[in-house]
Amino acid sequence: LTSPQLRAHPLGDSAVTITFGTERTAKLLRQIHAAAHSLHAAKLPHIEDVVPAYLALTVFYDARHTSYAEIAKKVLEVCDQPARFAHDARETREHLIPVHYAGMDLEAVAVATGLSVGEVVERHTRRAYTVDLLGFVPGFAYLSELDTSLQLPRRAEPRPRVPAGSVAIAAAQTAVYPLDTPGGWHIIGRTQTVMFDPAREPPALLRAGDTVRFRRVT
Amino acid sequence: VITITRAPPYLTVQDSGRRHSRASGVPPGGAIDLFALRAANALAGNHIDAAGLEWALGGGSITFEQDAVFSLGGARAHAILSGKAAAPWTTIYARSGDELTIEQISGGRFLYLAVSGGIDVPLILGSRSTYLPGRFGGYLGRMLKRGDSLPVGAQTGQPPPSGFHSAADLLPRYETGIVHITRGTHADLFSESAWRTLTESEYVVSAASDRTGYKLEGAALSNPAGSLPSEASCPGSIQIPGDGFPIALMADAPTVGGYPKIAVVAEADLPILAQRSPGDAIRFELITIEQSQRALKRRTSDLHTISQLASRSSR
Repeated sequence: LTSPQLRAHPLGDSAVTITFGTERTAKLLRQIHAAAHSLHAAKLPHIEDVVPAYLALTVFYDARHTSYAEIAKKVLEVCDQPARFAHDARETREHLIPVHYAGMDLEAVAVATGLSVGEVVERHTRRAYTVDLLGFVPGFAYLSELDTSLQLPRRAEPRPRVPAGSVAIAAAQTAVYPLDTPGGWHIIGRTQTVMFDPAREPPALLRAGDTVRFRRVT
Repeated sequence: VITITRAPPYLTVQDSGRRHSRASGVPPGGAIDLFALRAANALAGNHIDAAGLEWALGGGSITFEQDAVFSLGGARAHAILSGKAAAPWTTIYARSGDELTIEQISGGRFLYLAVSGGIDVPLILGSRSTYLPGRFGGYLGRMLKRGDSLPVGAQTGQPPPSGFHSAADLLPRYETGIVHITRGTHADLFSESAWRTLTESEYVVSAASDRTGYKLEGAALSNPAGSLPSEASCPGSIQIPGDGFPIALMADAPTVGGYPKIAVVAEADLPILAQRSPGDAIRFELITIEQSQRALKRRTSDLHTISQLASRSSR
Protein backbone atom coordinates (compact mmCIF):
# COMPACT_ATOMS: atom_id res chain seq x y z
CA LEU A 1 0.00 0.00 0.00
CA THR A 2 1.17 3.51 -0.76
CA SER A 3 -0.90 4.95 2.12
CA PRO A 4 0.37 3.19 5.24
CA GLN A 5 -2.28 4.87 7.41
CA LEU A 6 -5.10 2.87 5.77
CA ARG A 7 -6.43 0.17 8.10
CA ALA A 8 -9.03 -2.52 7.45
CA HIS A 9 -11.15 -3.99 10.23
CA PRO A 10 -14.13 -6.34 10.06
CA LEU A 11 -17.50 -4.93 11.12
CA GLY A 12 -19.16 -8.25 11.72
CA ASP A 13 -19.49 -10.94 9.07
CA SER A 14 -20.76 -8.77 6.23
CA ALA A 15 -18.86 -5.48 6.36
CA VAL A 16 -15.33 -4.10 6.37
CA THR A 17 -14.44 -0.65 7.72
CA ILE A 18 -11.44 1.10 6.20
CA THR A 19 -10.04 3.80 8.46
CA PHE A 20 -8.20 6.60 6.64
CA GLY A 21 -6.84 8.64 9.54
CA THR A 22 -7.40 9.77 13.08
CA GLU A 23 -8.22 13.44 12.63
CA ARG A 24 -11.36 14.95 11.13
CA THR A 25 -10.26 17.25 8.32
CA ALA A 26 -11.84 18.45 5.07
CA LYS A 27 -8.93 16.85 3.21
CA LEU A 28 -9.48 13.42 4.78
CA LEU A 29 -13.19 13.65 4.01
CA ARG A 30 -12.43 14.40 0.33
CA GLN A 31 -10.10 11.40 0.24
CA ILE A 32 -12.84 9.18 1.69
CA HIS A 33 -15.46 10.48 -0.76
CA ALA A 34 -13.06 9.90 -3.68
CA ALA A 35 -12.46 6.34 -2.48
CA ALA A 36 -16.23 5.74 -2.21
CA HIS A 37 -16.63 6.97 -5.78
CA SER A 38 -13.86 4.64 -6.99
CA LEU A 39 -15.41 1.70 -5.14
CA HIS A 40 -18.65 2.29 -7.06
CA ALA A 41 -16.72 2.58 -10.33
CA ALA A 42 -14.62 -0.55 -9.62
CA LYS A 43 -17.80 -2.68 -9.37
CA LEU A 44 -16.18 -5.30 -7.14
CA PRO A 45 -18.32 -8.43 -6.97
CA HIS A 46 -20.62 -9.16 -3.98
CA ILE A 47 -20.66 -5.56 -2.72
CA GLU A 48 -23.99 -4.26 -1.42
CA ASP A 49 -23.30 -0.74 -0.11
CA VAL A 50 -20.52 1.77 0.49
CA VAL A 51 -21.06 4.08 3.47
CA PRO A 52 -18.55 6.94 3.81
CA ALA A 53 -18.08 8.71 7.17
CA TYR A 54 -15.67 11.19 8.83
CA LEU A 55 -12.60 9.00 9.35
CA ALA A 56 -13.58 5.82 7.59
CA LEU A 57 -15.73 4.21 4.99
CA THR A 58 -17.53 0.90 5.34
CA VAL A 59 -18.21 -1.58 2.59
CA PHE A 60 -21.09 -4.03 3.08
CA TYR A 61 -20.86 -7.32 1.20
CA ASP A 62 -22.63 -10.64 0.75
CA ALA A 63 -20.64 -13.03 2.96
CA ARG A 64 -22.31 -16.04 1.37
CA HIS A 65 -20.05 -15.62 -1.66
CA THR A 66 -16.77 -14.20 -0.36
CA SER A 67 -14.69 -13.84 2.80
CA TYR A 68 -13.44 -10.96 4.91
CA ALA A 69 -9.82 -11.50 3.86
CA GLU A 70 -10.69 -11.48 0.16
CA ILE A 71 -12.92 -8.39 0.31
CA ALA A 72 -10.60 -6.43 2.62
CA LYS A 73 -7.69 -6.92 0.22
CA LYS A 74 -9.65 -5.72 -2.81
CA VAL A 75 -11.25 -2.78 -1.02
CA LEU A 76 -7.89 -1.65 0.39
CA GLU A 77 -6.41 -1.73 -3.12
CA VAL A 78 -9.10 0.62 -4.42
CA CYS A 79 -8.93 2.95 -1.41
CA ASP A 80 -5.16 3.13 -1.73
CA GLN A 81 -5.16 4.28 -5.35
CA PRO A 82 -8.66 5.52 -6.16
CA ALA A 83 -7.60 7.21 -9.41
CA ARG A 84 -6.69 3.83 -10.94
CA PHE A 85 -10.29 2.62 -10.63
CA ALA A 86 -12.38 5.70 -11.46
CA HIS A 87 -11.81 6.72 -15.06
CA ASP A 88 -14.06 9.76 -14.77
CA ALA A 89 -13.62 12.34 -12.06
CA ARG A 90 -16.38 12.34 -9.52
CA GLU A 91 -19.20 14.54 -10.79
CA THR A 92 -19.67 17.55 -8.56
CA ARG A 93 -23.32 17.74 -7.67
CA GLU A 94 -24.58 21.08 -6.41
CA HIS A 95 -27.95 21.62 -4.79
CA LEU A 96 -29.70 24.91 -4.15
CA ILE A 97 -32.31 24.56 -1.42
CA PRO A 98 -34.89 27.34 -1.02
CA VAL A 99 -35.60 28.13 2.63
CA HIS A 100 -38.30 30.17 4.30
CA TYR A 101 -36.40 31.55 7.30
CA ALA A 102 -38.99 31.73 10.09
CA GLY A 103 -38.00 28.78 12.27
CA MET A 104 -39.15 28.62 15.87
CA ASP A 105 -35.59 29.06 17.16
CA LEU A 106 -34.51 31.82 14.76
CA GLU A 107 -35.02 34.64 17.27
CA ALA A 108 -33.32 32.65 20.05
CA VAL A 109 -30.36 31.90 17.75
CA ALA A 110 -30.06 35.63 16.99
CA VAL A 111 -30.06 36.42 20.71
CA ALA A 112 -27.57 33.67 21.57
CA THR A 113 -25.15 34.66 18.80
CA GLY A 114 -25.54 38.41 19.32
CA LEU A 115 -26.52 38.88 15.68
CA SER A 116 -29.66 40.26 14.11
CA VAL A 117 -32.10 37.82 12.50
CA GLY A 118 -31.08 39.23 9.10
CA GLU A 119 -27.41 38.58 9.86
CA VAL A 120 -28.13 34.99 10.93
CA VAL A 121 -29.92 34.36 7.62
CA GLU A 122 -27.21 36.14 5.62
CA ARG A 123 -24.46 34.05 7.25
CA HIS A 124 -26.39 30.81 6.77
CA THR A 125 -27.01 31.47 3.05
CA ARG A 126 -23.55 32.86 2.30
CA ARG A 127 -21.68 29.56 2.40
CA ALA A 128 -21.48 26.46 0.25
CA TYR A 129 -21.68 23.38 2.50
CA THR A 130 -20.29 19.90 1.97
CA VAL A 131 -22.36 16.79 2.71
CA ASP A 132 -20.14 15.03 5.29
CA LEU A 133 -22.27 11.92 5.67
CA LEU A 134 -25.83 10.64 5.84
CA GLY A 135 -27.38 8.84 8.77
CA PHE A 136 -29.37 9.31 12.00
CA VAL A 137 -32.58 8.80 10.00
CA PRO A 138 -32.99 8.07 6.26
CA GLY A 139 -31.95 11.06 4.16
CA PHE A 140 -30.51 13.10 7.04
CA ALA A 141 -27.34 14.78 5.70
CA TYR A 142 -24.80 16.41 7.99
CA LEU A 143 -23.55 19.58 6.25
CA SER A 144 -20.32 21.43 7.08
CA GLU A 145 -19.14 23.93 7.89
CA LEU A 146 -21.27 26.53 9.55
CA ASP A 147 -20.00 30.09 9.97
CA THR A 148 -18.19 30.21 13.35
CA SER A 149 -20.45 33.02 14.58
CA LEU A 150 -23.50 30.71 14.21
CA GLN A 151 -22.08 27.75 16.10
CA LEU A 152 -24.14 26.87 19.19
CA PRO A 153 -24.34 23.65 21.22
CA ARG A 154 -27.42 21.47 20.70
CA ARG A 155 -30.55 22.36 22.64
CA ALA A 156 -30.45 21.03 26.21
CA GLU A 157 -33.93 19.56 25.73
CA PRO A 158 -34.40 17.77 22.41
CA ARG A 159 -37.88 18.18 20.92
CA PRO A 160 -39.94 14.99 20.64
CA ARG A 161 -41.02 15.91 17.11
CA VAL A 162 -39.30 18.13 14.57
CA PRO A 163 -41.34 18.44 11.36
CA ALA A 164 -39.90 17.23 8.05
CA GLY A 165 -38.39 20.10 6.04
CA SER A 166 -37.07 21.93 9.11
CA VAL A 167 -33.71 23.59 8.44
CA ALA A 168 -31.59 23.49 11.56
CA ILE A 169 -28.13 24.19 12.95
CA ALA A 170 -26.03 22.71 15.78
CA ALA A 171 -22.32 23.04 16.55
CA ALA A 172 -20.42 23.34 13.25
CA GLN A 173 -23.14 21.73 11.12
CA THR A 174 -26.46 22.43 9.46
CA ALA A 175 -29.09 20.01 8.15
CA VAL A 176 -32.61 19.59 6.85
CA TYR A 177 -34.82 17.12 8.74
CA PRO A 178 -36.03 14.66 6.07
CA LEU A 179 -38.76 13.04 8.21
CA ASP A 180 -40.73 13.98 11.32
CA THR A 181 -38.34 12.85 14.06
CA PRO A 182 -37.16 13.84 17.51
CA GLY A 183 -34.36 16.38 17.29
CA GLY A 184 -32.14 18.65 19.36
CA TRP A 185 -30.95 21.12 16.71
CA HIS A 186 -31.97 24.80 16.49
CA ILE A 187 -34.67 25.24 13.86
CA ILE A 188 -34.16 28.38 11.81
CA GLY A 189 -36.29 27.75 8.72
CA ARG A 190 -38.27 25.43 6.54
CA THR A 191 -37.96 24.10 2.99
CA GLN A 192 -40.45 22.44 0.62
CA THR A 193 -37.62 20.44 -0.98
CA VAL A 194 -38.20 16.72 -0.46
CA MET A 195 -34.98 15.42 1.11
CA PHE A 196 -36.06 11.78 1.27
CA ASP A 197 -38.56 9.86 -0.82
CA PRO A 198 -38.59 6.05 -0.53
CA ALA A 199 -40.21 5.86 -4.00
CA ARG A 200 -37.08 7.46 -5.51
CA GLU A 201 -33.81 5.70 -6.36
CA PRO A 202 -31.64 6.69 -4.61
CA PRO A 203 -34.17 7.82 -2.00
CA ALA A 204 -32.01 10.57 -0.44
CA LEU A 205 -31.66 13.82 -2.39
CA LEU A 206 -28.13 14.37 -1.09
CA ARG A 207 -25.09 12.14 -1.34
CA ALA A 208 -21.91 12.32 0.74
CA GLY A 209 -19.51 14.73 -0.99
CA ASP A 210 -22.22 16.87 -2.65
CA THR A 211 -22.29 20.65 -2.28
CA VAL A 212 -25.34 22.45 -0.86
CA ARG A 213 -26.33 26.11 -0.78
CA PHE A 214 -29.41 27.64 0.84
CA ARG A 215 -31.40 30.47 -0.72
CA ARG A 216 -33.83 32.71 1.15
CA VAL A 217 -37.43 32.71 -0.08
CA THR A 218 -40.44 34.42 1.43
CA VAL B 1 -55.95 -12.75 0.75
CA ILE B 2 -55.55 -13.06 4.51
CA THR B 3 -57.40 -10.83 6.96
CA ILE B 4 -56.37 -9.80 10.46
CA THR B 5 -59.37 -10.67 12.62
CA ARG B 6 -57.70 -9.94 15.98
CA ALA B 7 -54.44 -8.00 15.92
CA PRO B 8 -51.64 -8.74 18.39
CA PRO B 9 -49.93 -5.67 19.92
CA TYR B 10 -47.17 -5.94 17.29
CA LEU B 11 -47.62 -7.27 13.76
CA THR B 12 -45.76 -6.16 10.62
CA VAL B 13 -44.85 -7.38 7.14
CA GLN B 14 -41.13 -8.23 6.84
CA ASP B 15 -38.82 -9.88 4.33
CA SER B 16 -35.03 -10.06 3.99
CA GLY B 17 -34.71 -6.27 4.13
CA ARG B 18 -33.08 -3.46 2.14
CA ARG B 19 -29.47 -4.14 1.34
CA HIS B 20 -28.58 -1.34 -1.06
CA SER B 21 -29.74 1.93 0.51
CA ARG B 22 -27.47 2.34 3.53
CA ALA B 23 -25.63 5.21 1.81
CA SER B 24 -28.96 7.10 1.88
CA GLY B 25 -29.24 6.38 5.60
CA VAL B 26 -31.80 3.58 5.21
CA PRO B 27 -31.20 0.71 7.66
CA PRO B 28 -31.41 -2.84 6.27
CA GLY B 29 -34.43 -3.69 8.42
CA GLY B 30 -36.17 -6.91 7.50
CA ALA B 31 -37.06 -9.82 9.81
CA ILE B 32 -35.17 -9.38 13.09
CA ASP B 33 -34.78 -13.19 13.14
CA LEU B 34 -34.10 -13.60 9.46
CA PHE B 35 -33.30 -17.30 9.76
CA ALA B 36 -36.76 -18.03 11.18
CA LEU B 37 -38.61 -16.18 8.41
CA ARG B 38 -36.45 -17.79 5.73
CA ALA B 39 -36.95 -21.30 7.10
CA ALA B 40 -40.71 -20.70 7.44
CA ASN B 41 -40.72 -19.55 3.79
CA ALA B 42 -38.95 -22.73 2.68
CA LEU B 43 -41.52 -24.84 4.59
CA ALA B 44 -44.38 -22.93 2.92
CA GLY B 45 -42.84 -23.62 -0.49
CA ASN B 46 -41.65 -20.02 -0.99
CA HIS B 47 -38.40 -18.43 -2.06
CA ILE B 48 -36.57 -17.72 1.22
CA ASP B 49 -36.71 -13.94 0.61
CA ALA B 50 -40.52 -13.80 0.34
CA ALA B 51 -42.42 -11.46 2.69
CA GLY B 52 -44.18 -12.88 5.75
CA LEU B 53 -45.63 -11.61 9.00
CA GLU B 54 -43.55 -10.77 12.07
CA TRP B 55 -45.63 -11.19 15.20
CA ALA B 56 -44.87 -10.28 18.86
CA LEU B 57 -46.12 -9.32 22.31
CA GLY B 58 -49.29 -11.36 22.42
CA GLY B 59 -52.04 -13.33 20.79
CA GLY B 60 -54.30 -12.65 17.85
CA SER B 61 -56.04 -14.24 14.88
CA ILE B 62 -55.95 -14.17 11.12
CA THR B 63 -58.38 -15.63 8.61
CA PHE B 64 -57.41 -17.28 5.33
CA GLU B 65 -59.77 -15.98 2.63
CA GLN B 66 -58.44 -18.59 0.22
CA ASP B 67 -56.92 -22.07 0.43
CA ALA B 68 -53.33 -21.57 1.55
CA VAL B 69 -50.20 -23.35 2.69
CA PHE B 70 -48.35 -21.79 5.59
CA SER B 71 -45.65 -22.35 8.18
CA LEU B 72 -44.83 -20.84 11.58
CA GLY B 73 -41.31 -20.34 12.89
CA GLY B 74 -39.24 -18.42 15.42
CA ALA B 75 -40.79 -17.89 18.86
CA ARG B 76 -42.64 -20.78 20.47
CA ALA B 77 -46.34 -20.17 20.42
CA HIS B 78 -49.60 -21.86 21.24
CA ALA B 79 -51.14 -21.87 17.76
CA ILE B 80 -54.50 -23.29 16.66
CA LEU B 81 -55.89 -23.63 13.13
CA SER B 82 -59.68 -23.99 13.25
CA GLY B 83 -59.63 -26.11 16.39
CA LYS B 84 -56.46 -28.12 15.76
CA ALA B 85 -52.97 -27.41 17.11
CA ALA B 86 -50.63 -25.91 14.50
CA ALA B 87 -47.06 -27.17 15.00
CA PRO B 88 -44.05 -24.89 14.45
CA TRP B 89 -41.55 -25.34 11.58
CA THR B 90 -44.14 -27.46 9.77
CA THR B 91 -45.98 -27.25 6.44
CA ILE B 92 -49.69 -26.76 7.16
CA TYR B 93 -52.60 -26.62 4.69
CA ALA B 94 -55.42 -24.18 5.46
CA ARG B 95 -58.83 -24.06 3.80
CA SER B 96 -60.53 -20.87 2.74
CA GLY B 97 -62.32 -19.54 5.84
CA ASP B 98 -59.95 -21.21 8.34
CA GLU B 99 -58.86 -19.08 11.26
CA LEU B 100 -55.35 -19.26 12.70
CA THR B 101 -55.20 -18.18 16.34
CA ILE B 102 -52.04 -17.56 18.30
CA GLU B 103 -53.15 -17.84 21.91
CA GLN B 104 -49.86 -16.69 23.34
CA ILE B 105 -46.16 -16.62 22.73
CA SER B 106 -44.67 -19.02 25.27
CA GLY B 107 -40.96 -18.68 24.59
CA GLY B 108 -38.84 -16.38 22.49
CA ARG B 109 -40.00 -13.07 21.15
CA PHE B 110 -40.78 -12.88 17.40
CA LEU B 111 -43.01 -15.38 15.62
CA TYR B 112 -43.05 -15.64 11.82
CA LEU B 113 -45.90 -16.66 9.58
CA ALA B 114 -44.98 -17.50 5.99
CA VAL B 115 -47.80 -18.05 3.51
CA SER B 116 -47.22 -19.76 0.16
CA GLY B 117 -46.92 -17.04 -2.49
CA GLY B 118 -45.72 -14.51 0.09
CA ILE B 119 -47.42 -11.32 1.31
CA ASP B 120 -47.76 -9.25 -1.83
CA VAL B 121 -47.30 -5.63 -0.75
CA PRO B 122 -45.38 -3.18 -2.99
CA LEU B 123 -41.60 -3.35 -3.21
CA ILE B 124 -40.02 -0.20 -1.76
CA LEU B 125 -36.27 0.11 -2.30
CA GLY B 126 -36.11 -3.56 -3.20
CA SER B 127 -37.97 -4.86 -0.16
CA ARG B 128 -41.46 -5.38 1.26
CA SER B 129 -40.28 -4.83 4.86
CA THR B 130 -42.08 -2.39 7.11
CA TYR B 131 -39.79 0.36 8.41
CA LEU B 132 -41.90 1.85 11.19
CA PRO B 133 -39.66 4.85 12.07
CA GLY B 134 -39.81 6.03 8.44
CA ARG B 135 -43.47 5.01 7.97
CA PHE B 136 -42.77 3.21 4.69
CA GLY B 137 -42.69 -0.34 3.38
CA GLY B 138 -44.92 -3.27 4.34
CA TYR B 139 -48.62 -2.45 4.58
CA LEU B 140 -48.95 1.36 4.33
CA GLY B 141 -45.76 1.75 6.39
CA ARG B 142 -47.52 0.78 9.61
CA MET B 143 -48.36 -2.05 11.99
CA LEU B 144 -51.26 -4.27 11.00
CA LYS B 145 -54.63 -3.70 12.62
CA ARG B 146 -57.87 -5.61 12.91
CA GLY B 147 -59.68 -5.67 9.57
CA ASP B 148 -56.57 -5.24 7.41
CA SER B 149 -56.61 -7.55 4.38
CA LEU B 150 -53.31 -8.51 2.82
CA PRO B 151 -52.92 -9.79 -0.74
CA VAL B 152 -51.03 -13.05 -1.10
CA GLY B 153 -48.89 -13.66 -4.20
CA ALA B 154 -49.28 -16.52 -6.63
CA GLN B 155 -47.71 -19.82 -5.56
CA THR B 156 -44.44 -20.25 -7.42
CA GLY B 157 -44.14 -24.03 -7.10
CA GLN B 158 -45.59 -27.07 -5.41
CA PRO B 159 -45.29 -26.65 -1.61
CA PRO B 160 -44.17 -29.60 0.55
CA PRO B 161 -46.87 -32.06 1.67
CA SER B 162 -48.87 -31.37 4.81
CA GLY B 163 -46.89 -32.20 7.96
CA PHE B 164 -43.47 -31.77 6.36
CA HIS B 165 -41.18 -30.31 9.00
CA SER B 166 -37.62 -29.25 9.56
CA ALA B 167 -35.25 -31.42 11.59
CA ALA B 168 -34.44 -29.68 14.87
CA ASP B 169 -30.69 -29.92 14.29
CA LEU B 170 -31.00 -27.63 11.26
CA LEU B 171 -32.39 -24.81 13.43
CA PRO B 172 -30.41 -22.36 15.62
CA ARG B 173 -30.09 -23.46 19.25
CA TYR B 174 -32.49 -20.84 20.49
CA GLU B 175 -32.56 -22.21 24.03
CA THR B 176 -28.86 -21.57 24.68
CA GLY B 177 -28.09 -18.10 25.89
CA ILE B 178 -24.65 -18.16 24.25
CA VAL B 179 -24.04 -15.42 21.69
CA HIS B 180 -20.74 -15.41 19.81
CA ILE B 181 -19.09 -12.09 19.01
CA THR B 182 -16.12 -10.81 16.99
CA ARG B 183 -13.95 -7.83 17.87
CA GLY B 184 -15.58 -4.55 16.84
CA THR B 185 -13.97 -1.63 15.02
CA HIS B 186 -13.12 0.00 18.39
CA ALA B 187 -12.20 -3.18 20.28
CA ASP B 188 -8.68 -1.89 20.96
CA LEU B 189 -9.96 1.18 22.83
CA PHE B 190 -11.25 -1.03 25.62
CA SER B 191 -9.08 -2.34 28.46
CA GLU B 192 -8.42 -5.99 29.11
CA SER B 193 -10.62 -5.76 32.18
CA ALA B 194 -13.49 -4.35 30.13
CA TRP B 195 -13.11 -7.30 27.77
CA ARG B 196 -13.09 -9.75 30.67
CA THR B 197 -16.27 -8.16 32.00
CA LEU B 198 -17.98 -8.43 28.61
CA THR B 199 -17.06 -12.06 28.04
CA GLU B 200 -17.22 -13.41 31.59
CA SER B 201 -20.34 -11.86 33.07
CA GLU B 202 -23.99 -12.39 32.33
CA TYR B 203 -26.13 -9.75 30.66
CA VAL B 204 -29.88 -9.42 30.78
CA VAL B 205 -31.96 -7.94 27.95
CA SER B 206 -33.60 -4.80 29.33
CA ALA B 207 -37.18 -3.65 28.82
CA ALA B 208 -35.72 -0.81 26.72
CA SER B 209 -35.27 -3.01 23.68
CA ASP B 210 -36.99 -3.12 20.32
CA ARG B 211 -36.21 -3.58 16.62
CA THR B 212 -33.74 -0.69 16.85
CA GLY B 213 -31.58 -2.17 19.58
CA TYR B 214 -31.43 -4.28 22.72
CA LYS B 215 -30.12 -2.49 25.78
CA LEU B 216 -28.28 -4.90 28.08
CA GLU B 217 -28.18 -4.81 31.86
CA GLY B 218 -25.33 -6.23 33.91
CA ALA B 219 -21.80 -5.05 34.56
CA ALA B 220 -21.06 -1.62 33.07
CA LEU B 221 -17.93 -1.29 30.90
CA SER B 222 -15.89 1.83 31.20
CA ASN B 223 -16.00 3.68 27.91
CA PRO B 224 -12.64 5.38 27.49
CA ALA B 225 -13.55 7.20 24.30
CA GLY B 226 -16.89 8.85 25.04
CA SER B 227 -18.31 9.64 21.66
CA LEU B 228 -16.33 9.30 18.41
CA PRO B 229 -16.82 10.76 14.93
CA SER B 230 -19.78 8.83 13.47
CA GLU B 231 -19.18 5.85 11.23
CA ALA B 232 -21.22 2.96 9.86
CA SER B 233 -22.82 0.41 12.18
CA CYS B 234 -24.57 -2.84 11.37
CA PRO B 235 -27.19 -4.99 13.09
CA GLY B 236 -25.38 -6.91 15.81
CA SER B 237 -22.94 -4.07 16.59
CA ILE B 238 -22.43 -3.85 20.35
CA GLN B 239 -21.87 -0.22 21.20
CA ILE B 240 -20.95 1.22 24.56
CA PRO B 241 -22.64 4.54 25.35
CA GLY B 242 -21.60 6.90 28.15
CA ASP B 243 -23.35 4.92 30.90
CA GLY B 244 -21.27 1.82 30.07
CA PHE B 245 -24.22 -0.52 29.48
CA PRO B 246 -23.94 -2.23 26.10
CA ILE B 247 -26.55 -1.77 23.37
CA ALA B 248 -26.77 -4.43 20.67
CA LEU B 249 -28.02 -2.71 17.53
CA MET B 250 -30.76 -4.58 15.67
CA ALA B 251 -32.44 -4.53 12.24
CA ASP B 252 -33.85 -0.97 12.31
CA ALA B 253 -30.84 0.74 13.95
CA PRO B 254 -29.51 3.92 12.30
CA THR B 255 -26.86 3.25 9.65
CA VAL B 256 -24.22 5.39 11.39
CA GLY B 257 -23.41 6.11 15.02
CA GLY B 258 -20.80 7.68 17.24
CA TYR B 259 -20.59 5.32 20.21
CA PRO B 260 -17.55 3.02 20.21
CA LYS B 261 -18.30 -0.48 18.97
CA ILE B 262 -16.52 -2.99 21.17
CA ALA B 263 -17.83 -6.07 19.37
CA VAL B 264 -20.24 -7.38 16.76
CA VAL B 265 -22.57 -10.37 17.21
CA ALA B 266 -21.83 -13.26 14.86
CA GLU B 267 -24.59 -13.23 12.20
CA ALA B 268 -25.20 -16.92 12.80
CA ASP B 269 -26.18 -16.08 16.39
CA LEU B 270 -28.20 -12.95 15.67
CA PRO B 271 -31.44 -15.02 15.69
CA ILE B 272 -30.58 -16.29 19.19
CA LEU B 273 -30.13 -12.73 20.47
CA ALA B 274 -33.19 -11.45 18.57
CA GLN B 275 -35.41 -14.04 20.27
CA ARG B 276 -34.36 -12.94 23.78
CA SER B 277 -37.16 -11.17 25.66
CA PRO B 278 -36.67 -8.52 28.35
CA GLY B 279 -35.40 -10.34 31.45
CA ASP B 280 -33.68 -13.14 29.51
CA ALA B 281 -29.97 -13.67 30.16
CA ILE B 282 -27.16 -14.03 27.63
CA ARG B 283 -23.43 -14.62 27.68
CA PHE B 284 -20.94 -13.50 25.08
CA GLU B 285 -18.13 -15.67 23.71
CA LEU B 286 -15.38 -14.14 21.60
CA ILE B 287 -14.46 -15.82 18.31
CA THR B 288 -12.38 -14.78 15.29
CA ILE B 289 -13.86 -13.36 12.09
CA GLU B 290 -12.87 -16.58 10.29
CA GLN B 291 -14.79 -18.69 12.83
CA SER B 292 -17.73 -16.34 12.66
CA GLN B 293 -17.92 -16.43 8.86
CA ARG B 294 -17.62 -20.24 8.95
CA ALA B 295 -20.54 -20.38 11.39
CA LEU B 296 -22.55 -18.14 9.05
CA LYS B 297 -21.76 -20.43 6.11
CA ARG B 298 -22.96 -23.42 8.16
CA ARG B 299 -26.18 -21.57 9.05
CA THR B 300 -26.70 -20.70 5.37
CA SER B 301 -26.10 -24.29 4.34
CA ASP B 302 -28.58 -25.56 6.99
CA LEU B 303 -31.18 -23.23 5.50
CA HIS B 304 -30.31 -24.49 2.06
CA THR B 305 -30.77 -28.07 3.30
CA ILE B 306 -34.24 -27.23 4.65
CA SER B 307 -35.14 -25.68 1.26
CA GLN B 308 -33.78 -28.67 -0.65
CA LEU B 309 -35.60 -31.24 1.51
CA ALA B 310 -38.80 -29.20 1.26
CA SER B 311 -38.71 -28.97 -2.51
CA ARG B 312 -37.72 -32.63 -2.91
CA SER B 313 -40.60 -33.75 -0.66
CA SER B 314 -43.09 -31.89 -2.85
CA ARG B 315 -42.32 -33.98 -5.92
